[in-house]
Amino acid sequence: MPAENVRAPEPFLLGEKQLRQIFDAAPSGMIMVNHAGTIVLVNTQIEQLFGYERLELLGKSIEILVPQASRGKHPEYRDSYFADPHTRAMGVGRDLHGLRKDGTEIPVEIGLNPLVTDGNQFVLASVVDITERKRAEERLRITIEAAPSGMIMVDQQGKIVLVNSQVERLFGYSREELLGQMIEMLVPSAARQKHPEHRNEFSADPHALSMGAGRDLYGVRKDGSELPVEIGLNPLMSQGERFVLASIVDITERKKAEVLLQEKILELQRSNEDLQQFAYVCSHDLQEPLRVISNYTQLLANRYMGKMLDEDAHEFIEFTLDATKRMHQLINDLLLYSRVETKGKGFVEVDTNEAVEMALSNLSVAAQESNATINFSGLPLVKGDLSQLVQLFQNLIGNALKFHSELPPVVDITFDRLGDVCTFTVKDNGLGFDMKYADRIFIIFQRLHVRETYPGSGIGLAVCKKIVERHNGRLWAESSPGSGASFKFTLPSAALRRVQ
Amino acid sequence: MPPRLKILLVEDSRADARLILEVFKEEKIGVDVDVVRDGEEAMDYLHKRGPFANADSPSLILLDLNLPKKDGREVLSEIKENPELKSIPIIILTTSQSDEDVMKSYKLQASCYVTKPIDLAHFVKVIRSLDEFWFSAVRFPPEPRLC
Repeated sequence: MPAENVRAPEPFLLGEKQLRQIFDAAPSGMIMVNHAGTIVLVNTQIEQLFGYERLELLGKSIEILVPQASRGKHPEYRDSYFADPHTRAMGVGRDLHGLRKDGTEIPVEIGLNPLVTDGNQFVLASVVDITERKRAEERLRITIEAAPSGMIMVDQQGKIVLVNSQVERLFGYSREELLGQMIEMLVPSAARQKHPEHRNEFSADPHALSMGAGRDLYGVRKDGSELPVEIGLNPLMSQGERFVLASIVDITERKKAEVLLQEKILELQRSNEDLQQFAYVCSHDLQEPLRVISNYTQLLANRYMGKMLDEDAHEFIEFTLDATKRMHQLINDLLLYSRVETKGKGFVEVDTNEAVEMALSNLSVAAQESNATINFSGLPLVKGDLSQLVQLFQNLIGNALKFHSELPPVVDITFDRLGDVCTFTVKDNGLGFDMKYADRIFIIFQRLHVRETYPGSGIGLAVCKKIVERHNGRLWAESSPGSGASFKFTLPSAALRRVQ
Repeated sequence: MPPRLKILLVEDSRADARLILEVFKEEKIGVDVDVVRDGEEAMDYLHKRGPFANADSPSLILLDLNLPKKDGREVLSEIKENPELKSIPIIILTTSQSDEDVMKSYKLQASCYVTKPIDLAHFVKVIRSLDEFWFSAVRFPPEPRLC
């Protein structure tokens, strides 16, 4: 662009009245003082700030606005300023207060500007009321103090500027011992050297983060002991300066709980292994001698019955064989029972209609023989182990078929859904039982009838209970003698509802 | 008359070994059975070591799985790894009903897996079917065994 086209703006000259208007419109308080400390000019903001009328201030000494505590020293400060007048903030690092007409004090921030008019030296002070800011700071302080975790505020150099009492408690230092010190004093020596580097990385890219993710963090106490901690970092701006607010949680208890949990898991794994071992012992080592007893007793009977053995011997041999058969059954049942836990499969979506149908097909002979009617329809989807649920229905329905009255058995399978839980009812019209046995029937090998009338080892309901419990459910029974029994159990329902 | 079939029975239980022999006797099964009591003895027998220097090579081995010293699974895998011995059919005859044992035995190339029944009548049936198939119908590899 050609130089002649650049033109300086016209000088803009303001009259005294306009200047005064601008002076009064300034958002902060403005006050002009001569070298003797006499107020020569104030604006509206000053009137409002200090509660004086303009005329009450003009011609008065500036010390009228200075609180009693610092009033004595003020003329001295004033003189030293006039000796070397330059634009600066007043009382850096100190808390400044102004004194209002009503005697109350307000926190203020004051900027000083030297001004020469007609050869006379003046100072123009701009006064800002920082009550709100102080209040906000106080609120922050109270919040930090009240926080349940340790809070430490650190400046950009890594100096501690604020701590709460939790920090004192956690690290064993008093507040005074911490303020102004480097944050590294709380970092264990192993990590201390690298810490300023980490700090610099954080201030280069400040964002809320949880420190040392995946690493075990420790703090060091005054007595040198270390404590496991979790630390959250938050960048914070205050009065144009950057700070980092660290919140520190003592995780000693959690660590202890983790160790304990780990121990318990190992213990459980061990006991599970023991159970597997037990299952193997059942399937093999316990069967072996039994087989020998049974085989040789039979051999004895086959070879010598009618020749060297009489009728009594025959009966004794029968008892022995019967007992070995029962023992064999018990061992197999025990194995089955132990395998509910150890051989259980993962849970999938199971259509309980299908589970019931499979159970019924396994029970078809017993159902036909007893001329039974089994009613069910529209049963829900649940989360479970299909083969175990088949076993569950099979045992419960089988039970109903077994303990029937003179009437042909009728079994009704129904369900209720409440939230995520389905409650199933398997109701029969059989013998029922006295409720005083309601708990006993679920205990392994407990029976309510003599073996001759109702064969069985008393494992069925115990297995049912274990299966239901493995599905986080509950199994119970309601009955009275002669009026049938209802077995009820809960299972977790699957998310999808069966379309009917 | 063809030479009688030579069977090595590896069985630690005297009662079980005797029972098998008794059933053979009752069922009039004409086989020669040598009995050893543990896995190490079985290997010594097959390698004609020590007291078994004059032993004949068996045509068939009846092997229990749970044996003292060296168990049946080890015996099975050693035999199947040995080029001289691996062609001998091995019948696992055990009380173990575990799927794992069944699986492992077939993986180690057992010829078949038979569970000892608790009931004598069943046991006799099992022995009879072994007789009908293994002791009568089956043709064994000719001697000398070559790899």
